[in-house]
Amino acid sequence: MNWIVQGLDREQLLDRLPAIGGAFRQLYESVFELPQVSAETLELCRLRLAQLHRSAADFALEECPVSAPQRAQLQDWPQSPLFSDEQRACLAFTEVYAMDCSAITDAQADAVKAHIGEEGLVALLQALGVFDGLIRLGLIWQAKPAGVRQHGQ
Amino acid sequence: MGSNARVQAPAQNTGNVIRDSALGIVPRTVEPYLALNAAVWDAGPLSAAEVELARLRNARHTGCVMCQAVRYDVAISDGLTEEKVQMIRGAEPDAELSARERLLVAFVDQYNLDPSGIDQGLQNALLQEFSEAELLHLSLLVAWFNGSSRCAVALGGMPDAMPRMEISIPR
Repeated sequence: MNWIVQGLDREQLLDRLPAIGGAFRQLYESVFELPQVSAETLELCRLRLAQLHRSAADFALEECPVSAPQRAQLQDWPQSPLFSDEQRACLAFTEVYAMDCSAITDAQADAVKAHIGEEGLVALLQALGVFDGLIRLGLIWQAKPAGVRQHGQ
Repeated sequence: MGSNARVQAPAQNTGNVIRDSALGIVPRTVEPYLALNAAVWDAGPLSAAEVELARLRNARHTGCVMCQAVRYDVAISDGLTEEKVQMIRGAEPDAELSARERLLVAFVDQYNLDPSGIDQGLQNALLQEFSEAELLHLSLLVAWFNGSSRCAVALGGMPDAMPRMEISIPR
């Protein structure tokens, strides 16, 4: 239960300040339409951020379909054969981004660029910024996202 | 921290620091980016000086040298002094900050370090000092500046130090 306006979910809280919350949501939604990175790859990165933040609600959310086996193996993606090279580069980048963005190495950035180019790296960073932001907002407000569908983890 | 920029900025000089940065190579997000940045400064109940204090405290966490060097002119016009900025530079905020400013810093620290660990004491203190709209504004501006600051750091090419520079809100 959130502590700012009781009874509201995260998106309803965003709507209480529509001029800014709406702009944040617009940016969030725009990243899934970017041609530089597939929505499926971005969704895997969002789900991995949710795992790293231990946000079960965000992990349960589905912004874009990914296969059930990929969801199930996401935590152990380095050992799984289910992820493409592009997805692996983006997931490795995401993990360091989540912990300490200044620790990202040139090699990790180059691995992303090798698959999706410089534009893709910028697009990925923009997406990670709003994904991480929305997850943190939900956690600090103690407000769950709206429209959560349950998935087996 | 990477010493070389990982992305080439577009070959243009529009005078807009966001359009002319590496972000400009992804045109579809530039307009939503600019709109959110402007909304954070223009459309919330917190003063420009409070927005700037929260932004600078956040930049301390992300380690963005450029974000820490910048001062927005609207915040200076609103009365933000360099003395006040120095008060939020340490690990522990200066005791001379007001109770409201200390709470603002505490929220930014909590967001960065342990968002799920916010305790009842801080929640109550924030609710007592800030209105609902102010708390939402504070939350959203920290989320926005945190993401953009992390992006700047991750793109590499950040110098070890930069001089203080006063800029206007890019629109």
